[in-house]
Amino acid sequence: MITIEDLTVSFGAVQALRNVSFVAETGKITAVLGANGAGKTTLLRTISGLKEPKTGTIRLDDQSLVHKRTEDIARLGIGHVPEGRGVIGEFTVEENLRLGAMMARVNLLQGLQEQYELFPVLGERRKQHAAKLSGGERQMLAMARALIAKPSVLLLDEPSLGLAPLVTAQLMHTIQSLCESSDLTVILVEQNATSALRIAHHAVVLHVGKVVANDTAANVSANDNLRQYYLGLVE
Amino acid sequence: MDPFLTSRIVTDVLSGLTNGVTYGLVALSLVLIWRSTGVLNFAQGAMPMFATYLGFAFLSYHFGYWACVVACVIAGLLLGGLTERFLVRGLYGKPEINPIVVMVGFLIVLEAVAAAIWSSTPRSLPSPFSAIHWQLAGKPFALSPFTVYEIATALVVMALVAALFRFTKLGLQLRASALAPEVSRLLGVRVGRLLTLGWMLSTAVGVITAILVSANFFSGLTPTVMDGIFAYGFIAAAIGGLESPVGAIVAGVLLGVVNQFVTDFVNQNAVIIIALGILVVSLMVRPSGVFTKSSQRRV
Amino acid sequence: MKLIAVRRRVPIAIAIAVAVTIIALVAASTTREGIALSIAFDLAVACGIAMSVPGFKADHPVVSRAALTLLALDVAIFLTFFFSSSTNFNLATGAAMSIVLLGLSFLTGASGQISLGNGAFMGVGAFAMAIWANHHATTPIVLTLLIAVACGALVGLLLGLPATRLRGPYLAGMTLAFAVAFTFILSSFSSWTGGDSGLQLPTAATAPRWLDGFFHAGTPPLTTTTLYITDVAIIVAGVAFFFMANLFASRTGRSMRLIRDNDVAAELVGVSLPRTRVVAFIVSSAYAALGGALLTLIDNSVSPPTYSFALSVTILSLIVIGGIGTISGALIGGVIYAFSTNVISWITTQTGLNPQGNLASQLNGIIFGGLLILTMLFAPFGITGAARQLWHRLRARFPR
Ligand SMILES: Nc1ncnc2c1ncn2[C@@H]1O[C@H](COP(=O)(O)OP(=O)(O)O)[C@@H](O)[C@H]1O
Ligand SMILES: [Mg+2]
Repeated sequence: MITIEDLTVSFGAVQALRNVSFVAETGKITAVLGANGAGKTTLLRTISGLKEPKTGTIRLDDQSLVHKRTEDIARLGIGHVPEGRGVIGEFTVEENLRLGAMMARVNLLQGLQEQYELFPVLGERRKQHAAKLSGGERQMLAMARALIAKPSVLLLDEPSLGLAPLVTAQLMHTIQSLCESSDLTVILVEQNATSALRIAHHAVVLHVGKVVANDTAANVSANDNLRQYYLGLVE
Repeated sequence: MDPFLTSRIVTDVLSGLTNGVTYGLVALSLVLIWRSTGVLNFAQGAMPMFATYLGFAFLSYHFGYWACVVACVIAGLLLGGLTERFLVRGLYGKPEINPIVVMVGFLIVLEAVAAAIWSSTPRSLPSPFSAIHWQLAGKPFALSPFTVYEIATALVVMALVAALFRFTKLGLQLRASALAPEVSRLLGVRVGRLLTLGWMLSTAVGVITAILVSANFFSGLTPTVMDGIFAYGFIAAAIGGLESPVGAIVAGVLLGVVNQFVTDFVNQNAVIIIALGILVVSLMVRPSGVFTKSSQRRV
Repeated sequence: MKLIAVRRRVPIAIAIAVAVTIIALVAASTTREGIALSIAFDLAVACGIAMSVPGFKADHPVVSRAALTLLALDVAIFLTFFFSSSTNFNLATGAAMSIVLLGLSFLTGASGQISLGNGAFMGVGAFAMAIWANHHATTPIVLTLLIAVACGALVGLLLGLPATRLRGPYLAGMTLAFAVAFTFILSSFSSWTGGDSGLQLPTAATAPRWLDGFFHAGTPPLTTTTLYITDVAIIVAGVAFFFMANLFASRTGRSMRLIRDNDVAAELVGVSLPRTRVVAFIVSSAYAALGGALLTLIDNSVSPPTYSFALSVTILSLIVIGGIGTISGALIGGVIYAFSTNVISWITTQTGLNPQGNLASQLNGIIFGGLLILTMLFAPFGITGAARQLWHRLRARFPR
């Protein structure tokens, strides 16, 4: 469970997040929605310690994450698939995965096997340089690389960006089944609200750094105002 | 007609190789640091020189050659680590000239301090192997036990570095921290420590070069013993493209051979001039390095 | 209306001052100091008038820079008439060095790159000067200086062409290799460069006849030569600073600074990156060569060991300590250089070090290297930057 309270983050004079509070429950998918520049990426980067908050607290269960180093936060079991996927193109698929498994106390071969079962494409291309993968394959690799360390929390930053609708649907399905089969806490950042709301349990809507909605996914989906003004979903 | 093995050409190639491997090692250590921290370490010659003085100071405590070598390497590891922590750490992400200037300053300080403590008079180091050239059919052969030791050590060090990077967990993390520091941190890699480790490692590689170079009984160990080697090492690394460890080594070895031919067929003074000319031409023709594949280029 | 009237009066004031100066020159009597005083006073008044006019600096930046240069030259030359000949000699070397520093400062200020070989470029100028003077003794000094500058620019072009096209520390490394190679280059061409012993100028530079009143009145010839050379060095430095100040402020200078700060943006607005970098590097090499040539003139000889790698490092230290990328930094660095030998020997005697000992002989390297590191780490823009910061803080504390 991730608990965020009164979080304010700024870049010089620009406040990217203002008094943001919400809870991401264990075993649930929490969607964070909002337009470009709403502060979604900043939120995830602050959770991971890549950016210092000005005020506020972030807790993993009962442990505060503020002022911790990024690598220590990662070692607490928070997997972060960054914006743009962060796949290392010069590495092969398998080297990327080995890097992900580095800090986990799991058997490497077994971990690799599990990921190749979850994402068979990666198994086929294990010796290929990651730069040669397609967008969808890269996203799978980035997720597999985070999952191989057996995290308790998974932060996903716009996984659907640049993917075909069919691939997106497949990806969302994978996320959903992951969450159901384990106690994984997922924070899913998306601009693509429709597909995120389809699988999310809870949804937080950000607008210029402020939380404008914090409710169940169903309620957010049903709220016409939100759909129209903040999520850009007009029928 | 000379016998083949003692002919002028073979002699030049082999002597060139002996120098070339030391250029290759310096070039390699430059590339390691450049790739991981974006700093061209202008003290990459002076730091090993200083560590070598420190390590061989134990001679007066009746340490043997090999014990002193170990002391040198340890001193190099320490010096490299401390330098990264206290001198370089604050410079990452600063304008390009800041680390250059600081490292040039460090080069000057190290050379001056070494000369102040140990004086500029060359000091001859003991050598475990004879530097007297073998004879073949009454003619001097290009190699001596010492030069074979020199070449073999260099090759072993290069192979160890390659193996470390290619086959170990540590190497994977080192490469990842160099290529994508932020992503590596998100995966739990302690990038800060690895950068320190990278500097330690590359200084140790430099120390081995310095030990080999200053055991040469012509020059001996002086505070400026690495200046020329550094210049050739940089030229080799730049020809190789600064990004490619293999390119750096190959360019270093080739440069050593070319230099030997120039020494033999032109004269000693022309060596650095021609090396500089090769650098100018190669940068004109292949700006991103002769040995860099176009897909590897980073702007 | 009143302001315009004031501005109209400026040229008149300058004309009067110049006229008075000429009269003073023509009426050269044997009392050297008297004339010096009157000229200096007139010039100072004229420049002072010009610069004190409100709005003048903004409307006529070039003229106002010229006035400032003139004023500075005036004061400096005036002072040389009262200094001892050893102080003057130091000042002359300082002036030559400040030209070199100005070039390096411009390179970094304009393109964000750095050269570790400006000592060698200085050597190019120094040897070009000596070689030319030995083969064509009758060429006027100014022409010989220009030839030396051209040589420096040419070598700069040769080295800068490949290196400045690349990002990263290629230029720094390549200029370092050049600095290391330079002494070997000199001994390769020993029939031209005089080998290890270097070259001597055929005749010492002496003041022309019509300035006899200034430089020869009742003083021993050695002193007058030093005085004359010092004044020449100061004037050349003044001209160099004047040109550079205009270059810094020109369109070219502005586009260069744009490159330093943000090369992507610079390319977007149509500034050619490689060309600008090459130009900056050539200017810096040419300035270094001018400084070197001047040094040959001052020393009356040139010797290869002067132009070792150590000189390049000294140059780097001086400009970093003075303030890299700034004009005043070069001036400060030049002054430091002028008196550094004195200061270091003072430190040696004060601390009771054995002057022949290892430590004393390395003090220069330890101090300059240490200052180089500390400055870069804690005050990246050197004395100039620190002074500016202090000034801004004072302004904020005590607003007018
Ligand atoms: N490195 C940065 N420096 C300055 N401002 C930034 C930086 N990163 C993000 N911002 C600003 O913070 C706000 C939120 O950005 P971001 O978190 O990337 O939004 P989102 O991911 O929702 O599109 C934007 O206004 C953006 O301009
Ligand atoms: Mg974003």
